[in-house]
Amino acid sequence: MADTFPFPKRTPVRVTFGIAMLLLGVFGFVPAVGVLVASLTDLRGLPGLPINFIGIQNYIDFFSPAKWADSANALTNTIIFAFASTVIQIVVALAIAVLLNRKLKGRNFYRAVVFMPTILGVTVTGLVWSLIFNVSGGPAASVLSLFGAHSAFFGDPHLALALVILVQVWMVLGVSVIIFLSGLQAVPEDLQEAAEIDGASAWQRFRNVTVPLLAPSITANVLLGIVNALQSYQLIYVLSGPNNRSTQVLSLLVYVQGFGGASGTTLSQSQGYAAAVSMVQFVLVGIVSIIALIILRRREAKL
Amino acid sequence: MATTRLRGSTVIRRLLTGVAVVATIGVLAACSSSSGGSTDGKPSGKLQLLVSSSDATDAGFRAINAAFEKKYPDVDVVFSTVSNDNYPATKSSRLTAGNLDLFVVKGMFETPSYAKDSATDDARLAAAGGLVDLTKESFLQKFTPTLLKSQAIDGKQYSVPTGVSYYTGVFYNKKIFSDNGLKVPTTWSEFTAVVDTLKAKGITPFGMGGKDSWPAGLPMLASVASLYPNAADKQQLAKDLWTNKAKLTDPTEVKVLQQTEYVLQNSQQGAAGADYTSIPSGFAAGNFAMTVDGTWDQPTIDAAVAKKFDYGYFPFPGSDDAADNALLNGKTELQLAIPTSAKNKTAAMAWLKFFSQKKNYELFLEKSGFSSAQPDISTSTFLQSISKYTATYQPAWDQIWFANNKAGQDAVFPFNYPALKPLGSDTPEQAAQAAQKAWTAAG
Repeated sequence: MADTFPFPKRTPVRVTFGIAMLLLGVFGFVPAVGVLVASLTDLRGLPGLPINFIGIQNYIDFFSPAKWADSANALTNTIIFAFASTVIQIVVALAIAVLLNRKLKGRNFYRAVVFMPTILGVTVTGLVWSLIFNVSGGPAASVLSLFGAHSAFFGDPHLALALVILVQVWMVLGVSVIIFLSGLQAVPEDLQEAAEIDGASAWQRFRNVTVPLLAPSITANVLLGIVNALQSYQLIYVLSGPNNRSTQVLSLLVYVQGFGGASGTTLSQSQGYAAAVSMVQFVLVGIVSIIALIILRRREAKL
Repeated sequence: MATTRLRGSTVIRRLLTGVAVVATIGVLAACSSSSGGSTDGKPSGKLQLLVSSSDATDAGFRAINAAFEKKYPDVDVVFSTVSNDNYPATKSSRLTAGNLDLFVVKGMFETPSYAKDSATDDARLAAAGGLVDLTKESFLQKFTPTLLKSQAIDGKQYSVPTGVSYYTGVFYNKKIFSDNGLKVPTTWSEFTAVVDTLKAKGITPFGMGGKDSWPAGLPMLASVASLYPNAADKQQLAKDLWTNKAKLTDPTEVKVLQQTEYVLQNSQQGAAGADYTSIPSGFAAGNFAMTVDGTWDQPTIDAAVAKKFDYGYFPFPGSDDAADNALLNGKTELQLAIPTSAKNKTAAMAWLKFFSQKKNYELFLEKSGFSSAQPDISTSTFLQSISKYTATYQPAWDQIWFANNKAGQDAVFPFNYPALKPLGSDTPEQAAQAAQKAWTAAG
């Protein structure tokens, strides 16, 4: 019975897994191969236009001297955005999770508050923060003006990326906190007590008992954070627009090239080039995720 | 136990699955149903109309749609309006799905031979047979011939121009000007004197919505309008840049960026982070004396000002010779075309014919604030007030320049205004050098 639970026969297993594989294949694998093929063409956004096979020209263009300044800028922004938002998100989420794991009055209310931004969705979050950082009379501008200072916020090329990272962390924090909370609740009380009896301070207990046992949660959060941040463009689009160089990331470049065109120019959409950029992004996400996974798994195994 | 429970709920699950599948098929079938349309020549059924949005033009289209539906009660106009940034994506998906009967096309002009690989999307679509040929339609003859000539592709007409906008001018608050003894400047030195006076009195000279990036390009286009006053001058510049005879670091080219920077530096605090849509209310509140903007925004500005003070519009005086600053530069606005994949061509054609009729077109112009694309049409008081600046139609720089798809962002426009402080972190000279570098690298 235990061997076959919850499916007593093989048929339901085959059918359910078959459907899942079919869905994944049709909506995941086939489009992925399609993007690879599209990246070798001059496919455009409009139906009826001739499509030509141009080999690896789109990839050559991406790394060409003419485009390299933009490509390097997008790559750098992507890496800064992903690294900073993941690290900050994990540190802050862990701190909040530890706090909310204590016996606090109104603990569930605080947990709901922390999780709430996750429910709002990207557009609402973007609009809320656009209003907060509105340059004329927004709350942030009003606070700054009390000190006689002012800022263009998302319009300031030196500040825009940092602000976008702040909003990204605020938006995805809830999920990380939940993952950490579930991890914390799996840490056995008796281990903490044993450490306490051995004379370990609160910090020592946290460092040597809690964190090692949270390793699987950290792995999940790091991977989710990295992949999420590397693929995210919607928030940046809403907050600082599609053509702001200081916040241009690879996924936004894909969107602008594939679907946006540039307002006020004759630049045409190029879904072939966008597909090539997304393949570069895929390789980047793949490499970073695999390296992170290897490091974190090795760490978990050591423990 | 688990087995029994699973089997017990199987019937219900199958039933639910069945219902879900039937419902999904039903919904999909409903979505893909034809928008109808008659075959007997009488317009009927759904007419899918997609435009890129602005408050004023949306009001104009809504007024026309209402009048059209009154005349043709069997037609249901499904009007979709999408922001400029999202328009290309929406247009692409709606065309692919085949549920568009009438839509706005952009960049309908012949590609010059030196930039033959940089044809715009819609010009390519027309050349590939994706748009209905309107050349022989009688309603097109109502429109100004020079405008029609400028939008012809291979000598054929694929779109109906809805109007003309001018956008190399400056809206100014007449009350602030008269209170400070200022006159409308006609040369660059007069212009800087006006700005200096305003600053000395503690008044912010310009309002700018830099967060959206493109509004900061308007002073750049305005400067080009003065420094290259004729269409022939601009065409020569475009050709010389493409053939590498002119450099973006040449003195006049750098001057364009210096004048753009001058406007940016004298704009309101935080201009780089301000929304374009916040500018009319700031202008109405007297937060700044001027704003470089297009005449398309006049209805919005007018509503915001609400007759609290008088305002006017003068050409950006970038040259020290007043004759070079005498005319506004403009473009043909929102051209409407019918895709060959349209399911209801009859209604789409009837709509265009209806739109072109004098009475209906005047209604559209009244709401949209556009200048007329037809001769002998009465225009608003505001447009009459700027008629001396529009006596001869001059296309703006972005209507002549073809962006090079191979070049980097610094050389997209040119001129490289997004790199200027405070939008970017460059001086005009650095921005010009970056643009020239990107342009040269593109070959």
